[in-house]
Amino acid sequence: MNWIGFAPEMVNLLAVVVFLGLALAPANPRRDFVAAMALSLLGLAVSLAVVRATGELPHQGYRADLFAQVYKILLAGGLVLVVAVCRDLADVEARRHPEFFLLLFTCNLAMTMLVSAVHLLAVYLALELSSYALYVLVVLRRDRELGVEAALKYFLVGVVASAVTLFGFALLYAVTRATTLDALARALVGLGANPLAAVGLLLTLGGFFFKLAVFPFHFWAPDVYQGAVHQVGAYIATVSKVAAMGVLLRLTALTHAGGPPLVTLLAVLAMASMTVGNLAAIGQQDLKRLLACSSVAHGGYVLIGLLSFSPAAHAAVMFYALGVLLMKFTCFLVVVTVAGDGRNPRLEDLAGLHARSPVLALALMMALFGLAGIPPTIGFTGKLLVFKAAVDQGHLALVIFAMLNVVVSLYYYLLVLKAAYLAEPAAGLPPLRVPRGVPVLAAALACAMVAIGFFPAPVIRLALAAAAALG
Amino acid sequence: MIVPFGHVLLLAGLLFVLGMVCVVARRNLIMILLGVEIMLNAAAIALVGASLRWQAMEGQVLVLFILAVAAAEVSVGLALIVNAHRRSGRLDPNAFHRLG
Repeated sequence: MNWIGFAPEMVNLLAVVVFLGLALAPANPRRDFVAAMALSLLGLAVSLAVVRATGELPHQGYRADLFAQVYKILLAGGLVLVVAVCRDLADVEARRHPEFFLLLFTCNLAMTMLVSAVHLLAVYLALELSSYALYVLVVLRRDRELGVEAALKYFLVGVVASAVTLFGFALLYAVTRATTLDALARALVGLGANPLAAVGLLLTLGGFFFKLAVFPFHFWAPDVYQGAVHQVGAYIATVSKVAAMGVLLRLTALTHAGGPPLVTLLAVLAMASMTVGNLAAIGQQDLKRLLACSSVAHGGYVLIGLLSFSPAAHAAVMFYALGVLLMKFTCFLVVVTVAGDGRNPRLEDLAGLHARSPVLALALMMALFGLAGIPPTIGFTGKLLVFKAAVDQGHLALVIFAMLNVVVSLYYYLLVLKAAYLAEPAAGLPPLRVPRGVPVLAAALACAMVAIGFFPAPVIRLALAAAAALG
Repeated sequence: MIVPFGHVLLLAGLLFVLGMVCVVARRNLIMILLGVEIMLNAAAIALVGASLRWQAMEGQVLVLFILAVAAAEVSVGLALIVNAHRRSGRLDPNAFHRLG
């Protein structure tokens, strides 16, 4: 067996052990940040190095194929970005910092496992581990009352969703006797009309829709984004969503076996997600709640790619995942910087951002253009790829509906932009304290979003190769 | 297998719905958590029944893992609920409405 393919998981596990040790030592935020940065960079380097190394554990339970390895790069990259904004973690008590990073790395470990898992048991365990780490991460806020309330809401929706998924697994096993995803997809092909199989499939998707914050399981998103520390919000909005898209891509073979009724239902959920997310976002004044509603809407767009069963659609979803990672992180970079004192930034707090930090404002503009799907950004290319793949599969009406939704979303993205560029700051607003490195990071992100938007070909090639590994 | 598999599924389904009703209808955090436990146990019953149907072990192994995971889930959940109760003195989920 080739162990090299599992190196990203090993590094994550190493980081977990390191922070377990540091949690026992006296508090030292500086040391914790440096260790986290070094370990997350090591994780990214290792993920990049082993992208071509594949391996599989015995009994087809856990597979590191090209798809999983590419996804691990995304997850490791996202973790590096999130850790990069943890330098000034003022909103978490200093003695909790090692535990904060411990849980962050545990969650990342679980998510790397989630995209590699091909056995129902492995999928379930990875899903639960990542969720539990996040529940506790959400609690860790200096204003503990906010944290506990957000975590309660997250927890209650999450455990119900995972119980629903588990019951779906049980039904699928009862109908097919299969426990690996490959065997399930094969066994389900002839069972499209079997009501037990159909219900089982539908329930199975529930837990993953919770992770992606898709329509029936989206209620938690605004509250959790608002109540959690900004860095945790950034993690949930980026890395957690990327992992959810990854595991849903793994499950698409099952979805396809569900036949036209399931595809129709997914289309309805996609439309509901987009509409609910976009309409809810319009009235939001809290920037993080607005981003959460936009996450719900983006879950709907991603669902369009997931229900179009073709390699091009799968590659499009992977491309979209990269786009969401970069765009949402840039927005949260602004949130973290503007709200240096740990308060939740409101739209009016962005006033005059273009004068207070031109680079940050520019990056925010690129990210918002991307989220709204305006060329020449990565968000436009991602939407184009997803919609084109869907039209090729005959989902024209769905795509037109999505386009209308994009127009609606333009309204509130431009409201944010208006706040940042046109509104004059209220008198007495303290000068923005931009830490060193943030402008560099923001400039790099803005360049990446535009560059990949202009030259998507290499990324698309890699995504197509990875999608081919899905089988 | 003496009990027909259909009956096992029916029992599991009923339990699952009962658990769901408990989660949705009860306005007490502890009872909601109990409802989720009942839903998990419904899944476990279905898995054990299916395991017997197929004369295979996978379902039972899954159930063993579910038991452990459910314990972890309850510990996280109860810790949260106890913390929330200490802060507000309430167990009613509607009492928590600072967000929004």
